[in-house]
Order: sequence, then C-alpha cells, then structure tokens
Amino acid sequence: MRLRADGLVVRYSALGAPALDGVSLDVPGGALYAVIGPNGSGKSTLMRALLGLAPLSGGRVLLDERPADDWSRRDVARSVGAVPQAESFAFPLTTREMVEMGRYPHLGPLAPPTEADHAAVDRALEACDVAGLAERDVTTLSGGELQRARLARALAQEPRALVLDEPTASLDVRHVMEILELLRASADAGMTILLITHGLETVAQFADRLLLLSRGRVAAEGTAAEVIREDVLREVYEWPISVQPDPATKTPRVTPMRRDAR
Amino acid sequence: MTRRRSAARGVAGVVLLSVACSGEQPRRTDDASAGWSPYPLAEAGATPARRVVSLVPSATETIRALGRADVLVGRTEFDTASWARPIASVGGGLEPSLEAIVALEPDLVIRFAGEQDTRTPARLDDLGIEHLAVRPDRIEDVYGTIDLVGAAIGEPERADSLEAEIRAGLAAASAGVGHLPRVRVAYLLDGTPPWAAGPGTFIDEVLSLMGGDNVFADLGALYAPVSPEQLRGREIDVVLLAGTQAPDASLVPGARFERVGGALDLPGPGVVQAAQRIGELLHGRSAR
Amino acid sequence: MSRWALGVALALALVAAVILGVRFGSVALSTGEVVDVLLGGGGAVERDIVLGLRLPRVLLAGLVGGGLALAGVTFQAVLRNPLAEPYILGISGGASVATVIVLSLGWAAAGSWLMPVAAFVGAVSAIAVVFRVATATGRAMDVRVLLLAGVVVAAFFTACIMFVLAISPARTVQSAVLWMMGSLAAANWTSVATAALYTIPAGTVLMGLARPLNLMAIGDETAHYLGADVEGVKRAALLLAALVTAAGVAVAGVIGFVGLVVPHGVRLLIGSDHRALIPLAFLAGATFLMLADLAARVALAPTEIPVGVVTAFVGVPLFLVLLRRSLAPRSESK
Repeated sequence: MRLRADGLVVRYSALGAPALDGVSLDVPGGALYAVIGPNGSGKSTLMRALLGLAPLSGGRVLLDERPADDWSRRDVARSVGAVPQAESFAFPLTTREMVEMGRYPHLGPLAPPTEADHAAVDRALEACDVAGLAERDVTTLSGGELQRARLARALAQEPRALVLDEPTASLDVRHVMEILELLRASADAGMTILLITHGLETVAQFADRLLLLSRGRVAAEGTAAEVIREDVLREVYEWPISVQPDPATKTPRVTPMRRDAR
Repeated sequence: MTRRRSAARGVAGVVLLSVACSGEQPRRTDDASAGWSPYPLAEAGATPARRVVSLVPSATETIRALGRADVLVGRTEFDTASWARPIASVGGGLEPSLEAIVALEPDLVIRFAGEQDTRTPARLDDLGIEHLAVRPDRIEDVYGTIDLVGAAIGEPERADSLEAEIRAGLAAASAGVGHLPRVRVAYLLDGTPPWAAGPGTFIDEVLSLMGGDNVFADLGALYAPVSPEQLRGREIDVVLLAGTQAPDASLVPGARFERVGGALDLPGPGVVQAAQRIGELLHGRSAR
Repeated sequence: MSRWALGVALALALVAAVILGVRFGSVALSTGEVVDVLLGGGGAVERDIVLGLRLPRVLLAGLVGGGLALAGVTFQAVLRNPLAEPYILGISGGASVATVIVLSLGWAAAGSWLMPVAAFVGAVSAIAVVFRVATATGRAMDVRVLLLAGVVVAAFFTACIMFVLAISPARTVQSAVLWMMGSLAAANWTSVATAALYTIPAGTVLMGLARPLNLMAIGDETAHYLGADVEGVKRAALLLAALVTAAGVAVAGVIGFVGLVVPHGVRLLIGSDHRALIPLAFLAGATFLMLADLAARVALAPTEIPVGVVTAFVGVPLFLVLLRRSLAPRSESK
C-alpha cells in the first residue's frame, strides 16, 4: 500500500512558523521508511497529518493512490495500524483487552469477536513477545513491555501499513533489534512501514530510505548513505557528530562527540 | 448601669426563689402534653420596660393586645401586620442585627428561648442589654408569654384580663362546635413528600380543640414527611394546606382542601381568631 | 466474575426488587391484598396504593437509578476520570437554582408540573453553558476544560442557591433543601413515561457507542487511529448522558452516590468493556435505587427518609467490600 504526501503544510496557530512546511514523502508498498530529526522538527505532526488528525493548511495526502479525504475513518483504521508516542490509561485494562481493540475497526458496534479475531490477537501477542503478559493489567507493565503490547495492538489490526512513533523508545537492545527485525520482515512480506524514531544507528541497518526533518522542513531524503552524513547531521542536530562506516554492518555508525572534552 | 443590673438580678433572684419554693408552676399541670419545653427562664427588670425590641412575633402581638404597642421600638421581619410596619425592623428573629438593636437603645429585648440561637443571648449580655426569653410552642405558652411580657412592661392586670379573655374565647369556640361530628383532618406543609403536623404541636392542639382529629396523631415526631401511601391509606375528610403545594386530589378522594397559609404558624394572642377560623374550615357553614 | 453470571444475577435481583417494592410499602398490606390487586380485584384504596403509587414509584426508581448509572459510566469514560459522576457538569446546580427560584417566588402553587419542568430547564441551561465554555476555543473539545468548566459553573450555581435561600423564609428553605436531597415520592405514571422517554433511547444509543467509549479510555489520538469519530462520540455521549441526568433530576431531585459508585462497583466485577458495563451498570443502578427507595419508604413508616441518605448509607459499605475484594490479585479476567 503506497503512502504519499505532497507539500504538507500544518499550522497550529496563525502566528509563528508552521509545524510542517511543505513536507513530501512517498513510501511504496513493502518499504520500511524512517523519519528522523531533532525534537520539535515535526515528526509527530507528520504522523497526525497523514492520518487526519492535524488540519492541513496546504498539500495533500494519498493513501493507496486515493486521496485521504475519500477514505472513511474506519477504512483507514482497517488498513493502517498507527501507534502514537504516548498513551495513558484511565481505567484498568488487561493486555489482551488492549490488543483486542486492534480488531475494533473490523467489528460492528456490538458484534462479539470471532475465532478469526481471537487468532489474530494471539498471533500479534506472540509476534511481539507479550503473550505471557496477556492477562496482566497494562498499568503494571514495564515501559518496554507496554511498548511491545501497543505494537501488538497495531499488528492485530492486520493492516497493510504501519505508522509508528518511537516504537522502540523504552526497549532494551534485544527487544529493539527483535522489533526492528519483525518490522523488516513485515516490510519484506509487503507491509508498508513508516517509522518515526530517534535511533539513528540502528535505523540505518533496517530502513530502505530515510527522511530527515528539521524545523518542519525536509533537510534530507534518501538512502542511509545519503542522509546519514556528518555535515548534514551536524547542521540539523546542532551538535558535533562523527559518522564512520561500520565494517561489520556496512552501514554508517553515528557517534556524538563530547563538547566538554579536555 | 451596673447598679441597676445588680438590682435587677437581686429582684429576679428573689422572684425565682419564691417561685421555686412555691413548688410546681401552676400552669404546667397538663399531663397530656409530651415533649413540652421547660418554662422559659426570665430575667425580668425591676422597672417596667419602656423601649422594647421584640424578636418573637407572638410577643409583639401580645404587647399590642395588652394595649401597649407604644413601648415597641423594634420588631422582626416576620411581624408583617400593617400596624407593625412603622416600627423599625432588626432582621430575623434568630439572626437579628445586633447593631440595629443597639441603635434603638432598648431597655428590654424579648427573644426565643431554646438552643436554636445561643449567640443572641451571649451578645446581648456582652452589650449589657436586658433580655427575656419566651418559647411559644403550645397554647399554654400563650398564657405564659402574656404573663411574662405583661410583668415586664408593667401591665400585670391587663395581662390577667387578657389571659382570661383568651381562655373564655377558646372555650366558647370549642363549645360552639362541640355538637358537630369530629372531622378527620390532615395538616400538610410543603415538600415532596409533604410534611404533616403530628402530635404535640400547637396545630394539633387547636385542631383537637375545634373538633378535628389529626389523622397523623401517630406520627412520632412534631413534623415529619409522610409517604403518599399514608395519605391514600387513611381516611381524611379535610386537608389543611399550610404552604403552596397541594397533593394530588386522587391521593385523598372525597377530602376537602382548604388553604390555611401561615395562620397557625406561632401561638399568640390571636389564637382565638385562629381557632375560630379553623372551626369554620373544618366544619364549613355549620360552624357559624 | 463472568459477565453473563453477573448479568443473570442482576436480572434476578431486579425482578426481586420490583416484587418487594410492590409488596411492601409505607402502609401495611397483606400479600393477599396485593395479589388481589394485581389480579384485577381489591378495594379502591388498595388498588390506588399498589397500582397508582407503588408500581409507578418502583418503575421510576428503576429508570432513574439505571439512568444515573448510565450517565456515570458515560461521564467517566468520556472525561477519562474515575471521579466523574452525573452531576459533574453543573447539572444538579442548574436544576436546583431553577427549583429554588420557583419555590421562593411561590410559583409551585401553579401546578405540580412546574417544578419538574423548571428543574429540567435549569439542568439543560447548565449543560449549554458548560459546553459553550468548553468549546469556546473552536478546537477539539478538551475534556479537561470541560471538567473544569463544570466544576466552576456548579460552584457558581451553589452560590446562587445560597443567596436565594438566605433571603427566603424558613419554609422555602426547608422545601428547597428537601428537594435537593432527592425523593421518588412524586412518582406517577406521567413521570415514569417521561423518565422512560429519555432513558431508554439514550441507553440504546449508548450501547452502540460502547466500543468507541472503550477506545476513549486510552486517549483521543489512539481512539482516532482505531477508527472512532472522537469528537462526534464525545458530543453525542455527553449530551445523552446529560439529558438522562436532567430528566432524572427533574422527576426525582438530586439523588447522589448512585452515578458515581454503581459504575465502579460493576467495573470492579467485570472490567471496563462498555459492551457489558453499560447494560450491567443500568441493571445494577436500577436495582440499587429500587431497594434503597423501599428502605426509605418502609424503615421509619409512616415517615420517609430521603432516598439519597439511604443510597449513601448502604452504598458506601457495599462499595468498600467490593473494593477490598478487587484488591486481591486477579487470577483470571473473564
């Protein structure tokens, strides 16, 4: 499923700079696309703009070749699994109940879940290594466990595309790699994946293309080799960063330098 | 001021002592009344009061009935009679404006006895103003109030004759309807469900005197809300309404509704007129 | 506990409550007399009491209790706040101000229909004011702003009530305070019909919103991504819950405690899935208020206790028992 955005402009207030200023991207089906950039560069706004939560002052979004306006909210939810950066839980909820919510777009208002729905939930729980936590209350999970459970919810939607905001934020190295390998495998199997992340190093090993945002604008777009370059990163992140090729993985290794070094 | 106070206290002490030594208060021998308040304690002044602030509407009425409305310098908001309007108001009976009272320079303040208002007597003591407590709960208290107030303003003979007049008036009113069949009556106040007057109230007394049987004589409280079922389940001839709300007519089929308003609010010297009115309401034309 | 087990238990309890509510009351009637009436016979007094007073009163208690529980569930879900309850948007304040004004102006004499209408108008006005404040920015409705607006508007109404009462005669104050304590004593078939008119359609529509309400518990953004029309659901749900509450306040005054605690009690037993929570909370609220009203009528006959007092006295220990039970480790969820 192709995800395309042309010249998106999003303003949160009439004054000041727009949160997104002419951002375009084109993610073909079966690709893993990473969006990177400093805090406040507009990454989360991009996710909201793509999925109809941020009002567009300019530009358009095309989902699977059709304008986003032609899609009903439910149709989008059936095809695109989206997990925002943070969530909070007002009431107790088990992990299984939360993952089951991924099936809602496929269910009518009152119809109970079918066997197929339960199977999809079980598969998602397994894939994210949270099957053992299924009956626990989500508020008792660690940050990383919760992260994986929320990803399971998106997978339970059985979507054709995933849009994820920092899915590996609180995870240990093993789980970071497991999740990224899972996403890579999904992409290889045909799922379109848009990944917003801070993990510069690891993302280079998995992403087909990267989009670097800075202050609401596209600073660089292309393969890892094209985007993860010293001059580009130093300018965008405003910090001395060293980029060296890593002999083991053949992808750029990113090392921030200390400014207070003697 | 201090000498007058101590003189007053001395006289009061003697009066109380003599009263106590004479045994039971002569007017408190009615055993049928449960839950009466104790006879109001009084701190009567030695000289008759000339400037009286009355915080008790029935005391205000009593002073007028004794023909001495001239001593009244202050009243409450609840004294709404037209003759009382020119007199200055000091606010509510239980929360009067102390400033207004002081400004009127009274030599006597008549207030409610009882625990509802502990501030006013304390404040009056602080200000050095004499006060007299009355508690008009029942018909007997009407006579007690007339006595006390009459003594305080120096009209003991008029007090006696007024009391006799009222006693005779009530007896005549009661006898006047004595030959008529007793009427089953409910006295209702506003509320959802409505409140009824029960046994031991002034209302109950007057009703009984005037040939009415209070259907809620078993209420167990002076005033309490009654379930609508109770209205339907008891035979009621007349429903007296003290407020603006009336129960559905289907709840009391065959009963006559009569609005009483606030006529029976407080026992006072007007009790004879109130009783006559009740007699008419209960028995219709035959009462006249 | 399984949902179905609780559902059956509550349904049985509801039927039992109806039976008890009709059999017992302020006036002592024998079982024979009651059965006679139900079969079409009985004397005029017995018929009036059982069919004209007890039956509509029991049904009204069910509708109001169920409605308040429904409203409580809905407000808790939309406002994402376990402390939310039906009167949180100033509804009780608006209704009370209107009735206090009617009482103090002596208009209640015009007819017994005036108080409920005034209460309803007052309640709806409060809702309108609070909604207006919360959506003044023109952007999506921020439920925290709504909550704050509700609290502030309620406080303002309380001040208005205090003012009017301070300058009113004692009788008016007493009537007003008693009204605000809530009572089902004015129940008749008209008020039952009114309550049913609001509660039943509202409950039906809210059932259809059960899944979106589940999603609201996680957050607006996620709910949107999972297909919910967040703004539409918020507005519809809040409006329905507010109307049900307003109707309840109009016919029965301000009965507290039911809308806050019944939803939590049911949640403790079967979790927060609104597909089960909505109908079960309705049943639980209905049964609870029916039984509370029975106690209010019978405990000190011939007088009545305000039903809000009974709901608090009985509900608090009941809730604490449930709470203790829930703090034991959960072994299985369904």
